[in-house]
Order: sequence, then C-alpha cells, then structure tokens
Amino acid sequence: MNNRLIFAALFALFPAAAAADAPKMDIPVLVEQATSAGIEHVYGGPWEYFVGGGAASFDCNGDRYPDLMLAGGTGPARLFVNRSVGSDNLRFAEMPLEVDEGDLENVTGLYPIDIDNDGYRDLVLLRVGRNILLKGGADCSFSNANRDFAFDGGRAWTTAFAATFEPNAEFPTLAFGNYVDRSAPGSPWGTCHDNALFRPLPGNRLSYAERSALSPGFCALSMIFTDWNRSGTPSLRVTNDRHYYRDGEEQLWRIDPGKLPRLYRRADGWKRVNIWGMGIAEGDIDADGFPEYALTSMGDTKLQTLDEEAEEGRPVYRDIAFERGATAHRPYTGSDLRPSTGWHSEFADFNNDGLLDLFIAKGNVEEMPDFAAFDPDNLLLGQHDGNFFEAGHLSGIDLDRRGRGAVIADFDLDGRLDLLVVNREAPVSLFHNHGGRTDWGTRPMGNWLQIELRQQGPNRNAVGATILVKSGNETRLRKIQTGGGHASGHAGFIHVGTGVAERAQIRIQWPDGEWSPAYRVFANNFVVIERGSSDARYWYP
Amino acid sequence: MPSRTLILAAAAFVALFAGAAPSGDAASPWTEATIGAPTRQADFSGRLSAAQLQALMERGEALFTAKFTTVDGVGRPMATQAIIPTKSKRPIQQSFQRLPGMDSNACSSCHNDPVTGGAGDFVANVFVSEGFTNADFDTTDPQFSNERNTNHLMGAGLIELLAREMTAELQAQRSMALNQARSSGEPHTVRLTSKGVDFGAVTAEPDGIVDLSGIDGVDSDLVIRPFSQKGVIGSLRQFTVNALNHHHGIQAVERFGPRWTGEDDFDEDGVEAEMGAGDVSALVAWQAGRPPPSRIAPENDQWRRLSERGGDVFDDIGCGGCHRPALPLESLVFADPGPVDGAGTLRHGETENGAVYDLALLEWAKSLPRDESGAVLVPLFGDLKRHKIADQQVSALGNELLGQRFVDRDVFMTSELWGIASTAPYGHRGDFTTLDEVIRAHGGAGRDSRDRYVALDDTDRAALIAFLKTLVIAP
Repeated sequence: MNNRLIFAALFALFPAAAAADAPKMDIPVLVEQATSAGIEHVYGGPWEYFVGGGAASFDCNGDRYPDLMLAGGTGPARLFVNRSVGSDNLRFAEMPLEVDEGDLENVTGLYPIDIDNDGYRDLVLLRVGRNILLKGGADCSFSNANRDFAFDGGRAWTTAFAATFEPNAEFPTLAFGNYVDRSAPGSPWGTCHDNALFRPLPGNRLSYAERSALSPGFCALSMIFTDWNRSGTPSLRVTNDRHYYRDGEEQLWRIDPGKLPRLYRRADGWKRVNIWGMGIAEGDIDADGFPEYALTSMGDTKLQTLDEEAEEGRPVYRDIAFERGATAHRPYTGSDLRPSTGWHSEFADFNNDGLLDLFIAKGNVEEMPDFAAFDPDNLLLGQHDGNFFEAGHLSGIDLDRRGRGAVIADFDLDGRLDLLVVNREAPVSLFHNHGGRTDWGTRPMGNWLQIELRQQGPNRNAVGATILVKSGNETRLRKIQTGGGHASGHAGFIHVGTGVAERAQIRIQWPDGEWSPAYRVFANNFVVIERGSSDARYWYP
Repeated sequence: MPSRTLILAAAAFVALFAGAAPSGDAASPWTEATIGAPTRQADFSGRLSAAQLQALMERGEALFTAKFTTVDGVGRPMATQAIIPTKSKRPIQQSFQRLPGMDSNACSSCHNDPVTGGAGDFVANVFVSEGFTNADFDTTDPQFSNERNTNHLMGAGLIELLAREMTAELQAQRSMALNQARSSGEPHTVRLTSKGVDFGAVTAEPDGIVDLSGIDGVDSDLVIRPFSQKGVIGSLRQFTVNALNHHHGIQAVERFGPRWTGEDDFDEDGVEAEMGAGDVSALVAWQAGRPPPSRIAPENDQWRRLSERGGDVFDDIGCGGCHRPALPLESLVFADPGPVDGAGTLRHGETENGAVYDLALLEWAKSLPRDESGAVLVPLFGDLKRHKIADQQVSALGNELLGQRFVDRDVFMTSELWGIASTAPYGHRGDFTTLDEVIRAHGGAGRDSRDRYVALDDTDRAALIAFLKTLVIAP
C-alpha cells in the first residue's frame, strides 16, 4: 500500500471532532506495519501468560540499528534482525537462535544489558521457571550462560527485572521480580514469591553465586533502579499487583553498596500505595533531577512526583496524574466506559517537540468483565503547560488488541521514535512514525538528538549515567537504565527531542558521578560520546 | 419591534465606529496597521511566474520598509530576543531599548545604505546576545553582548544558493567517505572541498562514526551558514524569523506560534499570530531577489588604471585566498522553504505550499557572468568560510569577549567584499572608517596578506583601495 493510501485510510478513521479539538502541536502519525515489516509474532499461553509479553530492543550485529527479541509465552522467543534501509518502510528478518528450544519457551520478558563487559549485549530472559542469562556474541549469536556466570535461574514465575552497576563493581547487580508462588498453599491469593537480588561476587571472574531475597515480595510486575533523591546511589522501586498480595504495597528498596537491601518504611516517609501495579516509567518531566514516575494499574495511572513540601531526603510522593490529565483511567475512544488496564509505560518524545510524552500499553487481562474489553493504548502527548493530551486515536495506535510489553525506539534511525507493542494472543503491533499529521499528509516534526555513551572497562554502556541536553534556558534530562516498563527493555541510542533548538550542549554525569565537559552538538545528529574525549563524534546510518 | 429608521441608525452607528477602529484594514488610509491582510502562502506556491514573483517581492518590500506598530504586534513584553522562544523573567521596563532590543521600527531602518536592503552606518549597530541569561542587559559592557554593524543584503539570494550547493557537496563527500570506510573496513579520510574552497578533512570509521576534528571553517554538521558576520545563520528565512523577533518584537507563527510554544501570543503583547508563513515568504523573496552589487569601470582614467593595477595587487598579496572573486553557482532556482533549516523555521516538506523562486526571471540575473559550463559566477569576493581573524600582534578584529553559537570570539565569516565601496564603515563592529584601516586590522588567517599589504609601496596600496572602490552597490 503506498503512503497516500495509508494516509487516506488513516484520516478517514480519525474522528474529525477530536482532531479539531486537538492542541496545535504535532501529532505523530504512527502506521502499523508489522506484517509488511516481516514481524508476525504472537505472545500467548494460559494463566501464567496473562502477564508478561515483553520485548527487547538492542543492536546485536554492530550496525547500531535496533534489533528485536520478542517473548512468546508458551511459544518460543524469537529474534528479528533489523534490515531497514532508509525511512520509507521498516524491515526485519527473523534469525534462528542457536539456543536450546526449551530455553526460549515460557519467556515472559526480556531485557538487554552487557553483563560481562565484552562489548556484546546479553539478554536476560524472564521465564515461568528458570530464568536465563543469554550471553551475546558476534553477529547476533547467543548462548546460555547460566553456568558460566554461576547464575541459578530459580524456579519462580518471573515478571520483572532491573539492573545497576554498584560502585566499583565489575559486573552489574541484577534484580528479579517474581509473581505468584504457585506451589504455596492457598495459591494464588496472598502467595507472592520473594524477589531476588544477585550481586556479583568480588573479583574479575563473573559469578552470581550469591542470591539475596528481597522479602517480602508482593507480586512484582515491574522494577527499576532509580536515583530518586540524587544521592548517586540508586534505589530499587518495585510496583506490585494488589490482585494477589495481602497487606502489600508499592516498594522502594534502599540498596547501599556492601549492605543488605532495606525497605523504605513509613518512618522514612514512604506512603502506602495499593495499585494493580503493572509497569513503571521514569521520566524527569521538569529536568530538576528528581524523576517522576508513571505507574500503570487497573483504572487510574499514577503519576508521582517528589513532594516539594516533604523533608529533604524523604521519599514522599504526590500523585499529579489528575491535575496533569494523565490518569488514562478508561478508554478514550469507543463506547466501552469500563476502567482500563495498563501495562507497559514509558516516557519518550514522539513528536520531537522537546516535551516528554507518555505511552501506556493497555489491554484486558483476559476477559475480566469489570474492565474494558476494547482498551486501546495511550499516547499522552506532553504539552507546554505541563499537561498531557491524549492522541492515541489521532496517531493511529488505537487498535483493538490487548497490549502488554512495548519498546519505543527509532527503528529506521530517521530521528522519529517508532513503537512496538507486544499483544496478548494477537499479533505484535509495529508502528512506524511518519511525522506530524496534517490534512495533506505528514510533515517533519521538531529537532532531535540521539546519544550513545561509551566508557572503557566495566559498564561500558554507562548504565546509570545521566544525560543533560541544554539548549538556551531549556534542559532535558535522560537516564540510561535497565529495567522498568512491563517485561520490556531497550538499549542503544538515547533519543531527545529538542523542539526548535538547532544547537545543544550535552553534559554527562557518568555512573560514578564524574561530570563530563560540555559537548557542543548540532541537532538532528547521532552523537557518540566516549568518556574522556574532548569532543563528541557523530555517527551516520 | 424597532422601527426601520432605528435599525438604519444603529447600523450607521456601528459602521462609523467600526471605521474609526485603530486597527482598520489596509483600505483605510489612516490605519496604523502596517502588515495588513496576511499573504496567503497558497497564492504563491509552486514555481512562481515572473508576475507572481514580482508581486510577492513587492509585498516583501512593503514589509521590509514598513515601520511596524503595536497594532501589528510590535512588542515582546514577556519574550526575549532569543532565537529559541524564551520568556522574560519579568515584563520589560522599556519596550524599545537599543541594547537588547527592540531596537528598530523597520527592517530598512538599518538596512538602508545606499539603498533599501543595503548596510548600516555605525549608528545602526546592533548588540548580539543569546538572549537566555541577562537578556535585558543595559550596558555595552562586552561581557553581555557583541556589537555588530549591519550587513547589506544585496545578492543575498545568490549567497544562500551558493551555501546550499556547498552544503550538499560537503555532505556528499562525507557520505562518500562513509561508504568507502564501510565497504573497505578501513578508516577513510576525505578532504572537504566545495567550489574550490577547502574545509579541512573528515575521517570516516568503518562503523559509521566520523572524526570531525579536522574540519575547518564550517560547523560540525557541514552546513554552510552564510549569513551574519559570524556565519551562524543558515538561511534568509531563519534570519528573517530571528530578526523580526529580536528587533521588532514581531513573532513569526512558524517559530513562536502554538505549535512550538503552546501559545497564540507567546510574547504577551495582546496580538496573536503576528506574522504568518506567507509574509515571511514575501520577506524572503524580496531579500533573495536583491540584485547583487556590481563592479564599475571608472570613467576617470587614473582611477581605472589604478584599479586595474589594484586587482593584480589583490591577487598578488593573497587577498583572494579568502575573498574569492567569484564562486560558481549551478542553479538559480531558489526553493522556499529551503533544504537546510531545522524546526522553527519553515522547512522543505513542512508545507504543501512550498514555492520556487527562479531568480533567472529577474532582470539583473541576465547580466550575471557565467563560466564555460554555464554556471553563474557569483562575484561575491568571499568564500563562505569562517576564519580566525586575530592573533597576538594584530587583534583588533578579535575584540569581543563572547563567542556566538559555538563560534569562537575571534572567528568570523569572510566578509563578502562586493558592494564594499558603498557600505562604509568596516569591520564587524563598524568601527573602521577606511578600507586601509580594516585591511591593516587583519590578523590570524589574514595576517600574511595584511603584512604584504603593509609592505607595499604607497602606489600599490592606493591601487588596491582604488580597486576596492569599484565594488559598489548601484543606487
């Protein structure tokens, strides 16, 4: 189908009245093209796979184009290598994995990270049963490294993951979030599994032989290491599903180097929040260094910000979702007015206007009658007044599919973020960003930068680094993180929309806290910053 | 029910007061609006005919010479002069202020010597600051701004076309280096040259990373930005949008409108949509259509002979290394919007009503010299490249404290010398009253030629001046 036909079809579907009410901002046109791009894949399975449905996006063959591995549930996880050329269409080709077929089954989610510092991204497979660390190699080769890394994948039902490099550690610390302990008496109610923390043993040889329990577990569905208080030492935030826990709540673990994890408690200022926590997105909307968090749930999404009136250093959060128009509590289109069910959430700038947008994957758990059956994904576009505008139906992502995990990445490296959504018992959706919507086609949107960090030695991809992009009086902040969302993660270029700024200064706070000099760059470029280098360099697709 | 008489009386009353409104339309001779009905972009799209281009340029001239008023949207009480829409921290005390602006009423208030679109006297200097911090500076202290003399705009369309072609060529050379490196698996270095001007070298790595440390006189994105003394503005359109806000508080919708700011009246002066894309296009078309300066053949025999000798001196002492007498231009087709602008300046593909101005339709284009391949030889006496122009001993042209948009304080775009005889004073601050003084002020990359000039005998120095005095803007 040529573009003209695509647009004609899209515009015919857009509700005219809604479009007329839209703020005068760029609304990205996101065209679903998974099949034509070569991705036909379904995540499915029985009860254990009502949750999960993850995707990992990372470059496995050195061309810097994001490749994809998708969880299959009871079906195998599959690898799709990016073959996109130019920005007209996305193209992927499936590549067989030389891994035990059984290892690729029962996968709920996946996260990419270079665990062993060899320059190849490895993959953490979250599974119903034994979790697996897949060691990445040249040309998208992978091998089960549980034994090499002395990693016991356990037998739990794992649904969340996050990683961080603790100070002076050669290798990352891995956190696994587990769901219901199906073998416990009375399961599934009140039988949440403990979560687990794996710290690498000291020394140059990678070993995860030591496991600590993060107890109690409250049926985690997402977790992320986050430097919520700008202390330089990230804590572990966990969102939990109240559907199964008893006396549980959202959690924040203090993870001090060399010490046992400790939960923040009421005495520390931590407030009890009970939600059907499904996904965590971290984004610093106002670039003040204290991140906001979008927590998906059934019904209202929470948008939490550190309470300005709270005593310094105390994790007291205020929900600003309602005042910012980000509750996304029920379908924004169609006639189904029952509450929504939210899963993956992620902040990103889809229209390059310099403001963070919020994507939420939505979909009924299975056939829960009290919740919306038609529950389209959200695209909440950030506005200059700090509020969000729902543009899912105007952008074209309002499909009748049950979304779960997702990846937001620029798959064709044209500067515009694309979107992949894994759906339960339905084909994955791959949305290609064509630019800003007009009544005559699409137009270029704002300026952008995409930034890659590199450092020598451990943590070569600088997990935990902060990127500040300053243009004029505006500063935009991004973190390099592994974790969050819903069972999905991505690694590669960090995308920053810069609006009308054509120049920017980039400063990096490396994971150990050291600040870089300011790098002067021009917008609409891919920027590679090597630690210690006096100049940033550009990369070209 | 009111009688027919009453209705008529009421209608007459309404008509009377409507007619007396201060913002009456252009048909009202007493109107205090100068912009009037906006130009519809759609009326001037596609490849314009000579008549359409003429009409658009006439509209552009009317706007260029209009003394904008508050009815039009003059004033930016809550916005700074910055090129990125930036709010003032507090309302500005004085709306007009010669330092941070607003500092003029019309474009032609400064660009008027010797013709509309020309340069400006020292009195027309402007003060350039980024407009982000200390945006309302009230001192000429150089820590807050750089003082700049007004450039002329004659031949500006040709300059932008040259820059576009050079940008495309440099970026193609970068792409070629990348292709070579990727196919060979080895780093590949390529010299960046366009129209005979050398911009250094880049080295492409097999993985697609480019080492830019060897580039010279151009930004790292290899975009030639030919406008402003500093060479930091890429297009007439970008210049126009910047200047309208800085100097007049007229905010173009394409940058300050709701798409990028979320507000209809970003500067909070009570006027929305102060200038639409069509009127910006008219201003661009008029500037692009300015005839280039020319070179006269003096009627005075002594001047003619001396200027001919001066042309040789110009070559002999190396002035032409930077002040290149001419650069070849392949095409006179000026697309508006253009190919190199970023968001915030209307870009190619951003409107369905893009226009093409064929400068060959203009009378002056018929007399442009061409080379054997048919390329127009644009007699700009410049290279569209930035150079360091001060050194330890000769530093008068490095007299600034602030860099500007990533360009160091002592680095400037080569001044095009066409029209220089008509555009005194000289230097980027306009503080040299004679050509001799400004030549002697060349340090840095111009030092060698400058030293050779100083070493010339009086006759040859006079010859060089006599030659430069033939480069005029025709009245």
